[in-house]
Amino acid sequence: MRNTLTLICIFALLGANAQEKRIDFVEYDLDNGLHVILHQDNSTPIVNVSVLYHVGSKNEPDGRTGFAHFFEHLMFEGSPNIERGSFFKIIQNAGGQLNANTSFDRTFYYETLPSHQLELGLYMESERMLHAKIDSTGVATQKEVVKEEKRTRIDNQPYMSFQAKIFGKAYEGTPYSWTPIGSFEDIDAATDQDFKDFFDTFYVPNNATLSIAGDIQIEETKKLIDKYFAEIPKGTKNIPRPEIKAPDLGGEVREEVFDNVQLPGVFQAYRMAEQGSDDYYAMQMLTTLLSGGQSSRFQKEIVDNQELAAFVGSFPFALEDGGLFISLGLVNVGKTPEELEEAMMTEIERVKTEDISDREFQKLKNQIENNFVSSNSTVRGIAESLADYHVYYGDANLINSEIDRYMAVTKEDIKRVAKKYLTPDNRVTLYYLPKSAQQKPEDEKLDDQ
Amino acid sequence: MKLKNILTLILTFGIVGAFAQVDRSKLPEPATPRPINIGDYESFELKNGLKVFIIENHKLPRVSFNLLVDREAILEADKAGYLGMVGQLMQRGTETRTKEQIDEEVDFIGASLFAGSTNVFASGLSKYSEKILELMTDVAFNPTFPEEELEKIRKQTLSGLAQAKDNPGAIAGNLNQALVYGANHPYGEIQTEETTNNILIDDLKSYHATYFKPNISYLAIVGDVDVKKMKKMVKTYFGSWEAGEVPTPTYDTPKSPEKTKVGIVNRASSVQSVVNITYPAILPVGSDDEIKVRVMNQILGGSFSGKLNMNLREDKGYTYGSRSSLSSDELVSRFNANADVRNEVTDSAIVQMIYELNQMRNGEITEEELELAKNSIAGSFSQSLERPQTVANFALNTAIYNLSADYYNTYLQKVQAVTIDDVKAIAQKYLKPDNAYINVVGKASEVAESLKQFGELTYYDTYGNEVDPSLSKLPEGLTAEDVIEKYLKAIGGKEKIEALNSVQMKMEASMMGNTINIEATKMAPNKSIQVVKMGGNVVQKQVFDGEKGASSGMRGSQKVEGDAAKDMAVSSAIIEEVAMMEIGISIKLSAVENIDGSDAYGVEVSMPSGKKSTRYYDSESGLLVRTTNVVEGPTGAMTLSTDYNNYEEFEGIKFPTLIIQPMGSQKMNINVTEVIVNGDVDASKFLVE
Repeated sequence: MRNTLTLICIFALLGANAQEKRIDFVEYDLDNGLHVILHQDNSTPIVNVSVLYHVGSKNEPDGRTGFAHFFEHLMFEGSPNIERGSFFKIIQNAGGQLNANTSFDRTFYYETLPSHQLELGLYMESERMLHAKIDSTGVATQKEVVKEEKRTRIDNQPYMSFQAKIFGKAYEGTPYSWTPIGSFEDIDAATDQDFKDFFDTFYVPNNATLSIAGDIQIEETKKLIDKYFAEIPKGTKNIPRPEIKAPDLGGEVREEVFDNVQLPGVFQAYRMAEQGSDDYYAMQMLTTLLSGGQSSRFQKEIVDNQELAAFVGSFPFALEDGGLFISLGLVNVGKTPEELEEAMMTEIERVKTEDISDREFQKLKNQIENNFVSSNSTVRGIAESLADYHVYYGDANLINSEIDRYMAVTKEDIKRVAKKYLTPDNRVTLYYLPKSAQQKPEDEKLDDQ
Repeated sequence: MKLKNILTLILTFGIVGAFAQVDRSKLPEPATPRPINIGDYESFELKNGLKVFIIENHKLPRVSFNLLVDREAILEADKAGYLGMVGQLMQRGTETRTKEQIDEEVDFIGASLFAGSTNVFASGLSKYSEKILELMTDVAFNPTFPEEELEKIRKQTLSGLAQAKDNPGAIAGNLNQALVYGANHPYGEIQTEETTNNILIDDLKSYHATYFKPNISYLAIVGDVDVKKMKKMVKTYFGSWEAGEVPTPTYDTPKSPEKTKVGIVNRASSVQSVVNITYPAILPVGSDDEIKVRVMNQILGGSFSGKLNMNLREDKGYTYGSRSSLSSDELVSRFNANADVRNEVTDSAIVQMIYELNQMRNGEITEEELELAKNSIAGSFSQSLERPQTVANFALNTAIYNLSADYYNTYLQKVQAVTIDDVKAIAQKYLKPDNAYINVVGKASEVAESLKQFGELTYYDTYGNEVDPSLSKLPEGLTAEDVIEKYLKAIGGKEKIEALNSVQMKMEASMMGNTINIEATKMAPNKSIQVVKMGGNVVQKQVFDGEKGASSGMRGSQKVEGDAAKDMAVSSAIIEEVAMMEIGISIKLSAVENIDGSDAYGVEVSMPSGKKSTRYYDSESGLLVRTTNVVEGPTGAMTLSTDYNNYEEFEGIKFPTLIIQPMGSQKMNINVTEVIVNGDVDASKFLVE
C-alpha cells in the first residue's frame, strides 16, 4: 500500500517536471511534402536552421558506397546564385556557424545564426534543396577533400578502422555492412549522371524535414518558409527504403588487427534490436549499468580495482533497422587483451545471473533522467532532436516523453536483454595489436651482429 | 528611408501572393538585430569572505556549482607538476568517504564532480542541489590525500612524460615557456621525471591547507534554483569554512629580448620544423586594448581565413595550418605565431610570418578582412550567451578583474567600433618581429644555418636548457667510411671478423606479460634464420639462404624476393657493415646526435631497395649505439629507433647484450642471453622452399 503511494507520488512528480520544462513546437507539411517543425525560444537572439534528409549510407546502391556522405560535401559547393566556395563565408560573415553530418540512416545540415539572419539561413538551405550545384568541377574537388578526410579521420587514426571492420562482419550481405565514409573506388567510379540521379531521388522536399529552433516568431517564420521552400518541386522518383534483415552470424567472428596503436584494444560488438524498440531502451539502461560514470561496473572493477585497462566502456550504436551493442577497452601496460576480455565477460555474465540491487537500479534511473534532461540544452540540439524523433519514430513529441519509455524498463528486462543479445554467437570480437609487435620479429635491426 | 519602408511593404505583400517571385539572385537582407541581453545575477558575500554569485535560469531543471580559488601564481620549483595532482587526489578520499563511495554517491544522483588545484565543479539535477553541495564541499574541505592514490597518479604522469619526450610539439612548448618566462617565473616551470618524483603527499596536503580559503574564493551557482533557499544552503555548507591569510607572491615581469633571437632544439629525425615566433606582452584582462587586440589577432591569425593561414597554407602550401594568439592575463601574456613546415621551407616560412606581422603594423588591412573578423567575434559572442554558464563567467570576471559594470554589455559595441587605424596602432604596439624569440624544433643539420639571418642562434635541449652547439658539429674531413672502419676495429678488427663463420644468438624479452624468445643464427657469407616464440609457440620465422628468403607469421607466409631479397642479403651478413662495404651501398655522414650523454655520428644508409636508415656510432668507442628509420605513424612521419647497449666480447668479437626496441609508445628491452661464435650449425636449416 505504501509502495503504491510512493509510486504515484513519483509519477506525479515526473509529470509535473515534464510539463514545466516542456519543449513546445508546431509542425506541418508544405504541399511539396516538406515537413516543418518550429520551436520558439526567445531567450537568446540566436536561431538554428536545420534540414534533415532521410538518406544515409544504407540507401546507397551497390558499388556506390560513400555516396550519401559525398553528397554532404557537394551540398556546400553552392548553387546558381551562390558562388563556389562562398557558402561558408556567407554564413560566417553573418556571424553564424554551420556544419553537417552523415550517418547510416540520414544526413543532417545546420546553421546557427543571430536571429535577425533567420531569412539568410532559410535562403541558403532552400538554394541547395532547389538546385545545388552538381557539376564535374565540384565533384572533382570534393573527391580529393573527402579522401583527405578519410585519411585524417579514419586511416590515420589509431583503432578507427574498427567501425568498418565490425559492421562489415556483423552485417555482412546487407547495406549496413559498409560505413558512411564508403570506399574511394566507388566514389571514383561514379559518373556525373549517378550524382544527378541520387540528388533527384533523395534531395527532394518530400524526403526532408526542416527543423528550426530559437528566437523566432512562428507566423512570420511560416511565411518566410513559404517564400523560399514552397516553389521547390516535389520529387517524382520512388524513394527506396531497404529493409535490413541480417542472417544469423552462425557463431562468433574473431579477428586480430595490427594497427598504429600504442595500447592493445579489445572491441566486441553484439547485434541488437533497432532503436526505439522496448529492448533498445533496456540496452540503454544496460550500458549505463556497465559503463555510466566512475562507479559503473566496468570502471570500478576493470579500471580501478584490477587496473587491467586504461579505458573501458560500452555504447549501443543503435540504428533505424538494428545496430550494434559495442563494448571496448584499451589494455593497460603489462596486461594482456585476453585478461581484459575475460574481465569484461565476467561483468556481462554477472548481469545475466545476478539481480541488480534496488539502489543500483535507482542509480541507473537517476543517471538516465539526468542525461535526458541535459540533452536538449541548446537550440541546435533541440532542432536536431525534433527532426530525429519525427523521422525515426514519427513522433516529435518524444522530445518530451521518451523518458517514460526508459522508466518502464525493469530490472528483469535488463537481465533478459543481456541474455538475449550479449551471447558469443551474436558477437564480433576484434583485437587491436600494436604494429610494432607484429613487425618486431621481422625487423632487420634485430639481426644485427 | 521612406522608400525602403515602402519597398519592404511591397515585398512583404508579395510573400502572401500565391505565385510570388522570389529574387534568388541576391542574399536576403538581415532583419533588425534583436538586442542582446546578458542575464542578471544576484551576488552576496559571506562573513568569511566567500563571494557568491547566483544566476537563476529555469530553462532546464539543472544546477551547477563552481568554486573558484583565486590565488596568485605559485612557483613549484623542484616539484614542478604537483599542482596538477592536487585535484585528482582530492577526489580520491575524504575523512568520511573512500574514492569508491564518492564515485557511487555522485553517480547515484546522476551528477558530475570535478576538482582541480584552483576549483571544484559539480553539476546535476536541481532537485539534488543539497546532496550535490554536500559531496562537493566534502571533497573541497575534507580531503585526506591517500598515499597509495598518489603513487597511482605518479605512475600515469611519468608514462605521459615519457610519451611527450619524442613529441616535437611538447618540446616546442617547453622551449617557448623557458625562453619567454624563464625558470623563475611560475609560467616558465617545466615538469620533468625528476620533479615528478620529488612530489610528496605533504606538498599536496600543505597546499590545500594554505590556499583553500574563502577570503580569496568565489562561488558561482547557475541554473534552476530559488535564490532565497540557495542563500540559506550556501550559508549552511560554506559558512563555517574558515578564512586565513594566503601568501601573495609577486614576480618580475618577463621582458622581450632587445633583439630577435633564434632558438633551436635539434631533433635529427624531424621531417618538419615546428616554428614559433613568441615573446611576452602586457595585456591585463579588461584593459583598454583587449578588444582591439582580439580583432587584430583575428585578422592576423585567429582563424582559417587569417592572413597567416591564407599566405602560408593557401598561397604557398608550406603548412597544413598557421595561427596566432595573444590573450589577456593579469600576470603576463604571450604573443605566439606558429606553423609546422617542411624542413626545406623553414626559413621561407619565417620570412612570410614576419612579413604578415609587418603587414599588420603597416595597416595593410582591407575593410573586408576587418568586417569578417568583427562579425565572427560578434557571432561567437552571441552564441555563447545561450549557455547560462557564460553569464556566470562574465560575473566572475567582472568581480575578479574589477571590470566596469557594463564591460560585457557594451562588448559588441566596442568590437564594432574598431577601425582599421585602431588595428594598425594596436599592431604597432603589440606585434614585435624585431624583439621576438624565433623558436624552431627540427633537424639542425638541414635548417640551422639558414636561421642565422633572423638573429643570434642558440641551441637548447628538450627541456629548454641551453646546450653547447659545438657538440653537435661533425669534425672536419670525417667521412662515413672512417666511421665504419672505426666501428669494425672497435668490435674486434678485420682479422677476427674474417674468421667468423657462424653466430648463434638467443634473446629474451617480455611483451604485455608474455615472454618472447628469439633465436637468431647467421652463417657466412649471408645465410640467416630467426625464430620468434611467444609462450613456446612460434609466432614469427624468417629465413634467408643467401639468395632468397621467406618469412612466416600471423599474417601467413610470404616469399622475400627482388629488392627486398637484396636488402636481406645485406642484413643477413654476420656483420652488416662488411656486406655494405663489399657491395658498395651508398652511405653518407648525416649528423651528430647526443645519445645517452655522449656524441654519436650518424651514417645514412640507402639499401638496394631504396629504403633509408641511419646508423649511429659512438664518437669515442666507435660502437654502433642506435639505428633509426622513418615510418608513417598516426600523426605523420615518425622515427623509430633501436638502441644497442652493454657490449660484451665473445671469441674476440663485441656484441650488444641489451637491445632496446620501440613498442608503440613504450620501449621493449631485449636481453641477449647466449652468444655462440663459430659453433656447429646445420646448413640445411637455412633452406627456403
